[in-house]
Amino acid sequence: MGAKKTPAAGDILQGTLDMLILRTLVMGPAHGHTIAEVIERTSENSLDVEQGSLYPALHRLEDRGMLASEWGTSENNRKAKFYRLTAKGRKELAAATSRWRQMTRAIGLILGESME
Amino acid sequence: MNLRRFEQREKRDVELAEEIESHLAHEQDANAARGLSLEEARRRARLKFGNPRVTRERVWSYRSIPWLEAVWRDLRFALRSLAKTPGFTAVAILVIAVGIGVNTAVFSVVNTVLLKPLTYPDPQTLVELMNTGPQGSFPGANIPKFNIWHQQTSIFQQVAGYDWGGAGLNLTGSDNPQQVQGIHVTADYFAMFGAPVLAGRTFTAAEDSPNGGRVVVLSYGLWKTRFGSNVNIVGRTIQIDGQPYLVVGVIGRGFVTEPAGDLWLPYQFDLTSHDMAHYFTVAARLKPGVTLQQANAQLKLAENQYRRTYGSDALPPHDGFGIASLQESIVGDTRSSLLVLLGAVFFVLLIACANVANLLLARASARKRELATRAALGAGRGQITRQLLIESLTLSLTGGFLGLILGFVGLRLLLRINLGGIPRLGENGIAVTLDLNLLLFALGVSLLTGVLFGLVPAFSASRPNLAARLNESSNRAGLGFRSGKLRSILVVSEMALALVLVIGAALLIRTFLKLQAVDPGFDTHNVLTMAMSISGDRFQKTEGVAQIIRDGTERLKSIPGVTNAAAACCLPLQGGFGVPFDIVGRPKGNARSTGGGGYYSVSWTYFDTFKIPLLRGRGFTEHDDGSAPGVIIINEAMAKQYWPKGDPLKDRLLTAVNMGPTFAEPPRQIIGIVGDTHDGGLNRDPRPTMYFPVSQMPDAETALNSRVAPLWWAVRSNVDPRSLVAPISAALRETSGGLPVAHIRTMDEILVRTTSRQRFNMLLLTIFGASGLLMAAIGVYGLMAYTVQQRTQELGVRMALGAQASSIRNMVLRQGMSLAFIGVAIGIGGAIWLTRFLASFLFGVKAWDPTAFIVTPLLLSAVALIAIWIPARRATRVDPMTALRFE
Repeated sequence: MGAKKTPAAGDILQGTLDMLILRTLVMGPAHGHTIAEVIERTSENSLDVEQGSLYPALHRLEDRGMLASEWGTSENNRKAKFYRLTAKGRKELAAATSRWRQMTRAIGLILGESME
Repeated sequence: MNLRRFEQREKRDVELAEEIESHLAHEQDANAARGLSLEEARRRARLKFGNPRVTRERVWSYRSIPWLEAVWRDLRFALRSLAKTPGFTAVAILVIAVGIGVNTAVFSVVNTVLLKPLTYPDPQTLVELMNTGPQGSFPGANIPKFNIWHQQTSIFQQVAGYDWGGAGLNLTGSDNPQQVQGIHVTADYFAMFGAPVLAGRTFTAAEDSPNGGRVVVLSYGLWKTRFGSNVNIVGRTIQIDGQPYLVVGVIGRGFVTEPAGDLWLPYQFDLTSHDMAHYFTVAARLKPGVTLQQANAQLKLAENQYRRTYGSDALPPHDGFGIASLQESIVGDTRSSLLVLLGAVFFVLLIACANVANLLLARASARKRELATRAALGAGRGQITRQLLIESLTLSLTGGFLGLILGFVGLRLLLRINLGGIPRLGENGIAVTLDLNLLLFALGVSLLTGVLFGLVPAFSASRPNLAARLNESSNRAGLGFRSGKLRSILVVSEMALALVLVIGAALLIRTFLKLQAVDPGFDTHNVLTMAMSISGDRFQKTEGVAQIIRDGTERLKSIPGVTNAAAACCLPLQGGFGVPFDIVGRPKGNARSTGGGGYYSVSWTYFDTFKIPLLRGRGFTEHDDGSAPGVIIINEAMAKQYWPKGDPLKDRLLTAVNMGPTFAEPPRQIIGIVGDTHDGGLNRDPRPTMYFPVSQMPDAETALNSRVAPLWWAVRSNVDPRSLVAPISAALRETSGGLPVAHIRTMDEILVRTTSRQRFNMLLLTIFGASGLLMAAIGVYGLMAYTVQQRTQELGVRMALGAQASSIRNMVLRQGMSLAFIGVAIGIGGAIWLTRFLASFLFGVKAWDPTAFIVTPLLLSAVALIAIWIPARRATRVDPMTALRFE
C-alpha cells in the first residue's frame, strides 16, 4: 500500500460524492460523463471528480436501489448508460442534504463566523 | 445486507467496461470540440480517467466477499498439499479421529444422562420426595408420609406414589401366561407425568381408593404385542393372576418410565393406615412459581403435621422431609463418574492435539522454503497463518467427522455388552442418539482442536526470517532452536498427560482385580436363579407361599442334575430389605431400636443351596414353620457388631419395632450364625443381616412382600445350570398352577453384573490410557526420528572422525530418554494431584497406590525406550560417505 495522500481542497469528501451524484440527477437522467461534467462545472470547477471513483459510486447506488439505469443514445449520438433517480434515491437525497446542512452549520459555528 | 451486488458479476463487469469506453469517447469528443487533434484528445481523455482496470477491479471486489474467496482458494490449496503427503495426512487424521472419537463417545453418554431433560412436560418442576436425616437423603415412602405429602397443595400441583414393578404380574387367561412389569401408581400419576392417553382414560380417584375395583391401564408396548393394537380392548376385562381386570385405558407411545412398565394398576391406598413400611416412591409436580426452597420450607411444616398425626416416634427429631429434582435423583451418583471420564477423554484430546501439532511442526519445517517463498512474494503473516490454519482445520474437521462416527458406533457397541449400571441409557443404550447436541459438540471440539494444534506451527512458521530461510541450502537443516524446543515441550507434555491417564487406568484395573478377588461369601457357580411373581390372592397369606415353596423345592430336586433348591424374598448380592430390631433385655437408651439390619425371608434350604457356611448353632429346617416357636439366623457381621463379647445364641430379637401393629410379632430366638455375603456390593463391607424362615412370617408381611417383590428361586446343579432352564421352568410352572418365571440368570451372571459399573469405568479408562500411551509413543518416536534425520550430516561427520556406533546410539537415546523422564516426572506430580478425584471409585487401593505409581512410570519409560531405540539404531547406520555427499 502506498502512503496516504494528504487531501487537497478539490478532493471530494468521502460519502459526499453519492450526495452530489443524486443531486445532479434531480435535473433528469444523465450518463456518467455528463454527471462528472455537471459536478465540476456547477462547482465552478473547484470540485474535481476523480473519474475512477465515479463508476464504483454509481454502481453502489444502483445496487442500493437509489438509481435505475438503461442504455441509450447520448447527445453525441454515442451509446451511453443513463442513470435516473428512483423514489428511494430522492428520499435519500433529501435526508443526505439535511444531514449535510446540519453538519456544515455545526462546523461553521465551531470555526466561528468571525474568522471570515 | 444487500445481496444484489453479488449477482451476475461477470456480466456486469463487461457492462462496466463498455460504460467506461463510452465515458472515454465522450471525453474525447469534448476535447476534440476544443480543437485538439484526435490523437491528443484520446490521450488526454485516458490520462484524466486513469487506469480503467483499477476502476473495474474496485467494482469487482466490492461485488465480492474477499475473505471467503481467499478461504476457498486456501482450502483447495490445503487439499492439494495434504494429498501430496498421504502418510502424514493419514496419521494426523487418525490421531485426531481417536482423540475426538473418545470425546464424542463419552459426551454422548453425558448428553443422554445429564444434559437431556426428562421426556415429561416441564421436567424441571418434577421433584422426588426425600427422607432427610443425618445419613443423607434417600427416596422412599410409606402410606402415612404419602398422606401428609399429598395434602401439601400449596406447593404441589400433583403428588403421586409409584413402585418399579418389582414383583411382576402374570397375564393369565390364555394358553400362554406371561410375566409382565405391572407398576402400581396413585391416581395423579398420569396427570403428573403428562402421560399421553391413546384410548380410554386413566384411573379416577374413586378407582384409586380401597375397594375401587380391579382396573388396569395398558402401556403402548403391551397393547401392541399382546392385544394386537385393538382399541376395543378398552372396556373389556383381561385376566391378571387369575382375576378379571377392567381395561380403562391405553397410554400412548413415547411415554418412558425408568424402568419400563407394561401396565399400571391403582395402588388403592387406605389413607387412614398407620402402616409404617416403606415400599414405594413419591414424586410431585411443583406449582408454577414455587421454588425448591419454598417447597422445602413448607415440608418443614409438614414434618410437624406428620409427628402430630402419627406420633413423634414415627419421625425422629433429626429426620425430616425434603425434595430433590427428579432428574438429579434418577441420575444419582452417575454424575461424578461421568465427569471423571469426561476429564480423562479431555486428556486424550490434549495428547492428540500435541501430537498433531508436532507432526505439523515437522511438516512446516520441511515446507519452510515454500512458505518463505510465498512470504517473499508478498504474502502477509496473516495470510500464511490463515493458510496453515485452514490446513489444520481441514485435518481436524475430517478427523472429527471420522471420530464422531467411530466414537458413536464404538460406544453403542460397548453399551450392548455393558451398560455400566448407568441410568437413562435405555435397553442396550438405545437412548444414546446422534442428536444436535452431539453434532455441535463434535463440530466445536474439531474446530477448537484445529485452531489449537494449528496455531503452534502457524506462529512458528510465520516468523519472518526470509533471508535465512531462502538461503538455506536444503530443507534439512533444523527448524531452529526455538521450534526444536517447542517440539520437545510438546513431547514432554504428551508423556506427562499419558502418564496421568495410565496411572488412572492402572488404579481402576487394580480396583477391579481386588473386587474380583473378594469372596462373595458363597459359591456362585452352578446356581440358576429366576423370579416368580406371586401377586395373586392365594399368596397374601404365609401358608400359601410356604406351600408353593415346599412343593416347588421337592419337585425341583427330582430333576436330574439338580442338587438343591431354595426360594427367598431376595438373592445374595442383590440386596434385600431392611428392618429395625431390639435385642430383648438389652437397654437401648433413647434410641428407637437397638439397631437395624438387612432382612431376608428364606426357605430352609437357602444356606445349603448357596453354600453359605453355618458358623455356629443350627440352620433352618422344614419344621420351623408357623406352628413352631419363632427363630432367626444372623450373619457374622451382625454378631460381631452387636455381640462383640457376648453370645448371640443366648438372645432373642424383637424385629419390626416401630413399624406399626400390622407387623408386630413376638420375639424370635437366635438359633444360628452364618457367614457374611456382600449384599450391598462387593466393594462394601457386609452389613448386619437377619434371616427369617419364609414359613414363619406374619401374614401382613407376606402380603407386603408378595406385592413389592417376586419370589426368587435358586437351583444348584452339578451340570451347567443353563442347560436346565427348560425343565426347571416347566417344573415350577406345573407345581405353581401355571405361574411363569422370568429374569432367569445364573448367580455368576449376577456377580458380573454387580461389578458392571467398575468394569465399565475400568474398560473405558484403559482404552483412554492405551490410546494416550500409543500417541505419546508416536510423538516421541516422531521427534527423535526427525532429529536423527536432521542431523544426518553431523552424525556422518562424527562417524568419519571415528565416533563409535554405540556412542552415537547412546547420544540419541540419552536425548530422547531425558525428554521422556522429564515428562514422567511431571506426570507423576500431576497424577498425585489428580488421582484424588478417583478416590471414590477405588476399592482396596489407595489413590497414591505405590504399585501403580511405580509400575506405570516404568511401563511408560519402557515404551518410550522402544520408540527411541528405532531412530537411535538408524543413527548408527548412517553411512559417513553418503551423509557427507548428501548435498
